Amino acid sequence: MSALLNHFKKLFIKKPEPAAGDVEQLRIEFKERYHSFKLLLNANNRALEIMADMERVLESGQPFGMAFVRASCTAVSVNVFNMIKHIGNLSKGRYGELDKRFNEIRQKMDELLSQKKSMKDKRLVIPIDAVSMEMRDVVGSKMANLGEIKNRLQIKIPEGFVITAAACERVIQDNDLQMEIDRLFQSDEGDNVERRYALSSKIQQLIIRSRIPDDVAEAVRRAYARLESDAKGKVALALRSSALGEDMPESSFAGQYRSELNVGFDSIFQAYKEILASKYSFQAVTYRLNRGIKDEDIAMCVGCLRMVDAVAGGVAYTRNPVDIADDAMFINSAWGLPKSVVDGSDAYDLFVVSKKPAGKIIRKEVNTKKIKFVCLPEEGVCQTGLTGDQMDLPSIDDKKALELSELAARIEEYYAIPQDIEWAVDKDDAIYILQCRPLKQIKPLKTDLPEPEFTRSHNAVIAGQGVTASPGAASGKVFLVDKTMDLLQFPQGAIMVARQALPIWSSLLNRSAAVITEQGGFAGHLASVAREFGVPALFGVPGAMDRLNHGEQVTVDADTLTIYKGEIKSLSTKSGPKMNLMQGSPVYETLKRVSRLIIPLNLLDPDSPYFRPVNCKTLHDITRFIHEKAVIEMFNFGKAHNFSEKSSKQLYYNVPMQWWILNLDDGFKKEISGKYVTLENIASIPMLAFWKGFSAVAWEGPPAIDGKGFASVVFQSTTNRNLIPGLRSAYGARNYFMISKNYCSLSSRLGYHFSIMEALVSERLTENYISFQFKGGAADHQRRLGRVHLIAEILQKQGFRVDIREDNLIARVEGHDMEYMKNRLEILGYLTLHTRQLDMIMSNNAALNHYQQKLEKDICNILDSK
Amino acid sequence: MKLEALKVLFVDDETDFLETLMKRMRKRGMDVAGVGSGEAALDYLKRQPADVVVLDVRMPGIGGINALKEIKRIDPLMEVIMLTGHASIEAAIEGMESGAFDYLMKPADFDELFCKLQDAFKRRTIQKQKIEKLGNFKRAEQKKGAIST
Repeated sequence: MSALLNHFKKLFIKKPEPAAGDVEQLRIEFKERYHSFKLLLNANNRALEIMADMERVLESGQPFGMAFVRASCTAVSVNVFNMIKHIGNLSKGRYGELDKRFNEIRQKMDELLSQKKSMKDKRLVIPIDAVSMEMRDVVGSKMANLGEIKNRLQIKIPEGFVITAAACERVIQDNDLQMEIDRLFQSDEGDNVERRYALSSKIQQLIIRSRIPDDVAEAVRRAYARLESDAKGKVALALRSSALGEDMPESSFAGQYRSELNVGFDSIFQAYKEILASKYSFQAVTYRLNRGIKDEDIAMCVGCLRMVDAVAGGVAYTRNPVDIADDAMFINSAWGLPKSVVDGSDAYDLFVVSKKPAGKIIRKEVNTKKIKFVCLPEEGVCQTGLTGDQMDLPSIDDKKALELSELAARIEEYYAIPQDIEWAVDKDDAIYILQCRPLKQIKPLKTDLPEPEFTRSHNAVIAGQGVTASPGAASGKVFLVDKTMDLLQFPQGAIMVARQALPIWSSLLNRSAAVITEQGGFAGHLASVAREFGVPALFGVPGAMDRLNHGEQVTVDADTLTIYKGEIKSLSTKSGPKMNLMQGSPVYETLKRVSRLIIPLNLLDPDSPYFRPVNCKTLHDITRFIHEKAVIEMFNFGKAHNFSEKSSKQLYYNVPMQWWILNLDDGFKKEISGKYVTLENIASIPMLAFWKGFSAVAWEGPPAIDGKGFASVVFQSTTNRNLIPGLRSAYGARNYFMISKNYCSLSSRLGYHFSIMEALVSERLTENYISFQFKGGAADHQRRLGRVHLIAEILQKQGFRVDIREDNLIARVEGHDMEYMKNRLEILGYLTLHTRQLDMIMSNNAALNHYQQKLEKDICNILDSK
Repeated sequence: MKLEALKVLFVDDETDFLETLMKRMRKRGMDVAGVGSGEAALDYLKRQPADVVVLDVRMPGIGGINALKEIKRIDPLMEVIMLTGHASIEAAIEGMESGAFDYLMKPADFDELFCKLQDAFKRRTIQKQKIEKLGNFKRAEQKKGAIST
């Protein structure tokens, strides 16, 4: 700061007057400089806003995608580039080193942003016989898991092949889709659900309309022909998504992508494109956004396996997903294809098989099943209604349940983690494994059943019905979801109530406080995702849609299978804070890493010899350096030319004040020829607002200090070189305003502290900002710190964002209308005068309280007086 | 600043977006025109004056960056703002180094764009005044030289 203030001092050294003919040229030159300065300030302000935005999303846990990361990094780079360009104009290229530092930093940013998993295996199609676990980046985890158990455990899975990640990349490249997809994502604004729905539909259409490259088509044809030749006839296929990164323990993607069942060769390419497109289904896009998964890391592989025309099918969990202590096996089963179990569209049977002693059915629930899914003779599947005995008969017998549990136990033992296994039994009674993936188990919360008295006194609407699909409790207003349009209207924090536990509702989980469904159990996709998101879910509650009213406030306790009327805080708070799903995710980590090149501020002290372009380690350092130098360059102009019209004037307010003012453009109402300017001639909106606050309440003089406070000042005055009279010191400088009609910056020293205030206040709401920096004092470090915290508390209450480092306070407020900004400037004006020497009383609590109350009361009066 | 004086040419191949943009800026008192490619923009500028050009980056044909370079070659004082759905640091810096006034990203913040257009126009006005003044100065110098000889 002393460097800056020394520059100001030199302004007052008399220079020869310029030739009259040059004055007009100087005027234009000054105009150009001021415009550059203004653009530099705008760019600085914008860069700081973007950095604050990045910090905010990193701290808040709110979902964001790579489009946000790229747009923020690009925008901040452009603004820093502009600042470097403008300081170059103002300084005639004095800080060339900044270019070098900027280019080094942005190259590192580029490297971080363009990191993509490399795809080494270029095969387009691979038979399932040749697939193993190590190939998960080539065929996706789902098919890699299946290939592994087939080829290493000799477990029966349907024959078939996988269309690989390389094939997916070929389709995207050949149709030039990636740029367009990125562009559409960038246009998706924040959490606007309607726009995301439209975006999802647009991208899916792009893919469905795309052309399959010849080499991919040919590879698929050959693989299909081999299957036909092995089967000695036509084969129908089940096409299943197997995206990279799917089926992981922490992010299952359960039910987010599409499967096409019973597909003949004529429809294979259409079905393939539909599955590729399902990467961008509304629920998949929402899932990735909420889980911080990068779009570019997900290549969609597709498994093409022979269709199993199932008599019965379902899902086996090798452990209880909602109770880590329970090691029993859960076999969920339905008639026909397993679809009604995984998409929660109907009730199903449950066999609980113990592990110790092994192979004993310890619980059996045979439920009334109303539908089943079956293969159509030609192509496709259909849902048929069940009638008569079949509805209430078990879909598999005990023997089959035990056989399934043995198979499941082998798979669990092989992978050494609990498994979620989809299976089918064909007409020949053979079991096929269709999918296996890690099962996430969670610790149960407190599961004691409530006392009957508690449920009575708290108006339990539903008690003891359904199953805990995801543990916990929450309160909110009921929102009945029934149709796709409800996806767009679902409010934040509502309780989702649906008839079926369909996977499509998973896109609402980030907005739901809890979920209740009439159908479904803990084995469905929606249940898996609810557990991943930590959203309490109570499934299989008969008549929930009719028994709960849209809009009514309820509390759902999924652990005790109870729903209460109204809000019960003791229950709704037991789950603790919401899970931060972003933290640690690939998108989050990319932003975190790249923000290290942008946000940290290392150049704190302009007086330090370290304050040089070569020491700029981040983009923030570059902006800090440029901002400091830009102010000096603006003053230098007067110094270099003795341009009296643009040299500073002393403020005359009753008497000549120790305040000097440099008019940058239109800060004075008229041209001032003498050495003084009066307040009546000031046109600067921010300066007048600041001054209004500064002069609103008369200063009562220094606070009454105690002996220790006085001693602290004396000690500092004799040891702090900056406070010794006669030495060159930043403290010996005067107070300077630089103003235009809408801009004002002030470097001031009142008492022993410095403050720097800068404000832009105009009708351009988005550009409005005030920044305020406060440092120093004559008391010891603790007392100075106390004062800084006192000021911070007051400013935070008034809407400022405050950052404190040591005894250095930086406060900002931006983007508000003119009236709001003027009020904040009045507060700063008032505080600038009235916090002087308050550091001395900082260890005296009574005095501190007295002054804090006085400051806050005065601020109220200033704001109320309008 | 008198907005009647501000003539803006918008260049974007996305017709819906172009129309919305033009409508919004026309409402704010600007004199606007729109074309769908870099080639059409160059052609337009040969026939009609403009103060500021707002240019998309990814367009069929010569594309935004090449169009920018050509515009700046023909008229170095023309201010060009890039407005793009293509967030890439590399592309942005290439645009800025090629003389773009700014590089903004879609979805467009119309308030921000409006302010940038005014700033770009002001810069163009100052640059013009400066060159005009320099011309006057040179003429006066030449005249002085002629008299003294």
